Amino acid sequence: MEQVVTPTNLEELSSLLRTCNQQQRAVEILGAGTRRHWGNPVAATLGIQTTGLSGVQEHSWQDLTATVAAGTPWSTMQQALAQHGQCVALDPLFATRSTVGGVVATNDSGALRLRYGSLRDLIIGITLVLADGTVARSGGKVVKNVAGYDLQKLMTGAYGTLGVIAAVNFRLHPLPRSVASWTVGATEIAPLDALRHALADSTLVMEALQLRTTSSGFALDVQFGALASTLQDHAERLHFLARPLQPVPAAAEVWQLREQLFAPEQATAKVTCQPAQLAALLPLIANSGGTAVAQQTGTLLAALSAQPGLVTQLRQRAEQLGGALQLLAWPAEVAEAPPRWSEPRGAIALMREIKRQFDPQSILNPGRFVGGI
Amino acid sequence: MLPTAILDELRNAVGDHGDGPQRSVITAQNQLQTYECDGLTNFRVLPAAVVLPANAQQVQAVVQVCARHGIPFVARGAGTGLSGGALPVEGGVVLSFARMNRILEIDLANQRVIVEPGVINTHVTDAVAAQGYFFAPDPSSQTVCTLGGNIAENSGGAHCLKYGFTTTHVVAMDVVLPSGEVVTLGSSAPDAPGYDLLGVFVGSEGTLGVATRITLRIVKRPEAVQVLLAAFDTVADAAQTVSDVIAVGMLPAAMEMMDRLSAAASEAAAHPNYPVCEALLLIELDGPETEVNAQMQQVTELCQRNRSWEVRVARTAAERALIWKGRKAAFAAMGRISPNYIVQDGVIPRTALPEVLDEIARMAAEVNLRVANVFHAGDGNLHPMVLYDQAIPGQEEIALDLSYRILYLCVDRGGSITGEHGVGKEKQQAMGYMFAEPDLDTMQRVRCAFDPASLANPGKVFPTPRLCGEKAGPYTQHPLQAAGIAEIF
Ligand SMILES: Cc1cc2nc3c(=O)[nH]c(=O)nc-3n(C[C@H](O)[C@H](O)[C@H](O)COP(=O)(O)OP(=O)(O)OC[C@H]3O[C@@H](n4cnc5c(N)ncnc54)[C@H](O)[C@@H]3O)c2cc1C
Repeated sequence: MEQVVTPTNLEELSSLLRTCNQQQRAVEILGAGTRRHWGNPVAATLGIQTTGLSGVQEHSWQDLTATVAAGTPWSTMQQALAQHGQCVALDPLFATRSTVGGVVATNDSGALRLRYGSLRDLIIGITLVLADGTVARSGGKVVKNVAGYDLQKLMTGAYGTLGVIAAVNFRLHPLPRSVASWTVGATEIAPLDALRHALADSTLVMEALQLRTTSSGFALDVQFGALASTLQDHAERLHFLARPLQPVPAAAEVWQLREQLFAPEQATAKVTCQPAQLAALLPLIANSGGTAVAQQTGTLLAALSAQPGLVTQLRQRAEQLGGALQLLAWPAEVAEAPPRWSEPRGAIALMREIKRQFDPQSILNPGRFVGGI
Repeated sequence: MLPTAILDELRNAVGDHGDGPQRSVITAQNQLQTYECDGLTNFRVLPAAVVLPANAQQVQAVVQVCARHGIPFVARGAGTGLSGGALPVEGGVVLSFARMNRILEIDLANQRVIVEPGVINTHVTDAVAAQGYFFAPDPSSQTVCTLGGNIAENSGGAHCLKYGFTTTHVVAMDVVLPSGEVVTLGSSAPDAPGYDLLGVFVGSEGTLGVATRITLRIVKRPEAVQVLLAAFDTVADAAQTVSDVIAVGMLPAAMEMMDRLSAAASEAAAHPNYPVCEALLLIELDGPETEVNAQMQQVTELCQRNRSWEVRVARTAAERALIWKGRKAAFAAMGRISPNYIVQDGVIPRTALPEVLDEIARMAAEVNLRVANVFHAGDGNLHPMVLYDQAIPGQEEIALDLSYRILYLCVDRGGSITGEHGVGKEKQQAMGYMFAEPDLDTMQRVRCAFDPASLANPGKVFPTPRLCGEKAGPYTQHPLQAAGIAEIF
């Protein structure tokens, strides 16, 4: 990268992009750079960094909505919203370092997705700047709104290849009042998967439900979120459902374990599947010496030893099950990195046409996305 | 009329050889009339033909015929849409999904149900109720409307406050693109690699293609449900209660409000024994029994603190059903107090409710009309009903004008022109009030990628249809931010 510019307002960003577009100059869009390697490398001589567009622009706390500039660090946003006891109900990776725009562009999510949904369900409007400098808005500031196409969904997870996200309107939730987390461990996956299914099929109110590998086998973590009296009832019902296994109060860090799956010498992958298939994937990872944390929603993060064959094997298995594997991290010193993305299923021609309509000269993060988009 | 040769191609596409018990291509004038409008009956257009495919292959074959000859087509579910979405295009084809009404697969382990688009909303819940599951999106029309219509409109209902709209409950879809090509959008696993085209397709009102197979998410039915009814002397008190409930961190399954006029009409129609008051609040809580009991106590206190003079908690399932029956009868009940009425669908930030209702009352008084209000108060979705008499010359125009001005008021207060009924044919011009040119142009880029020839439900949603390839320059300022609000239509 020869040069990085940091526009401080929408107009600057717009005119910068317009100039780049006229000069057919490729740009890499940067937030804090925490997920820069989640897609293919981008050949660009200019970086545009969003960190100059920062701050919670509006917090209508009585309406439980907020507008946040894309360069705002995720945890800075959460601290501001917490002043009124509210939050964006999502627990992405690296919250202290990531920008809001980066989290949105990569459609990250965590354990809370079970209860509150993914960014798709939490974003109600967006402001974006297209490659030609057009500033466009879609959605709005109200939770319920079906006017026009849902461009905010198109931008979420598009890895900055369709436009630069400048600001995001979120629907908010009250900070969880009382929660209780439990862990159940076992040497085999089968009884834990049965418990996972029993919980998913129950009327218990869960904030999060995850299955993971451990040094001695596997573990299931569940977080209940309810009134104190209900938490007591839920604990009893959990103990009943888990028999003969014994739930114990969970360590606080179980919900942050995902971040430990990123280690310098290892490969890290995001694998997706349906909930009932998690139990087929976790032992596969454990048997090859890897570790993994999987959510009931069907997203799984795995740390593997950096051997292309292992990644390919896991990818094939996930794809057989109707899911996919995305490589998030690969040690720079190991050559022969496997492809970052699974092949998209169908619709790739349509996706290329969407890209052509939004960024005809392909100046925005060229090549980073699925299928080399 | 379409040329005979093309009609023959359409018949071939759906295997209609004129010898079966049922025709699959309808061209007789009197039969076409059944399809000339949807629930917005003041717009009517006769299509050239109605085609009734029986499976996805036939849908594809029909769209291929349309693509080959440049014939516009409009998908149609049950025709209950309220914005003219299923209104035919003159000289075009209507694709009716009436015969594609099979539930294809139920996968309880992954909480998924796969359906054809003609399946009726409540039939999904019926199919999984015995196992304790339900399909959450619940438009009031749910016993007749179809999933195809639901995904096209991103339909909502009273319980979407807690459970989310249709879009939250669709995970994958097979779609026939306007070119005749079939693609799968989304996947049963989350976060399918690539752009979220599924998310864009939901709510696109049939303008991006036709869905032929839809994978839905189902939800476990909560352990307990309770409904409370509270009477208030002012809308402001009722609205404050709604805000207070949310402020203490509760997320009720539903929070609905009715003003005096609509509550009275519902009373006359369904006899739910509602108290006579200025604002009636209906709150439903669901979840674990211990929690629902505790929260109901808290909600009761909040109602009383905001001067509710009667709080009634339904004690039996029958009492609950009666309370809801009154609310669901609200639209139809208008017939009892007015010869004609227009239902509108605007959204405002919840906190603007008292102020906006005052303004609506003022605007109505100005033109000597009455407006009855029911709303999904939890999410600020208003359904003002403008009452009028068609027999009085000129009154319909005044009523229509008022109903549009109410929408603009919603936009001015930071809201939207539609919360669930869609833009369709009815609110195209209002789109130009809510969005600036560059916003609409950006949406057009999506349209051009999916449907470059503009064959799928053309002439809807957008105010000024542009040809793909035609481009306006980049703009930066939103007209609402720029001086004042006035816009010319
Ligand atoms: C009394 C009454 C109450 C209502 N209450 C509510 C409510 O509470 N909430 C709410 O959201 N709506 C409500 N509606 C509106 C309406 O019922 C919904 O919009 C519903 O989703 C429409 O379904 P439908 O099958 O009738 O679709 P149609 O009216 O037939 O079509 C609606 C749109 O869907 C498109 N479409 C249909 N099938 C497909 C397909 N397979 N692929 C692509 N596009 C397709 C059509 O082209 C059209 O644009 C109500 C309507 C009435 C009459």
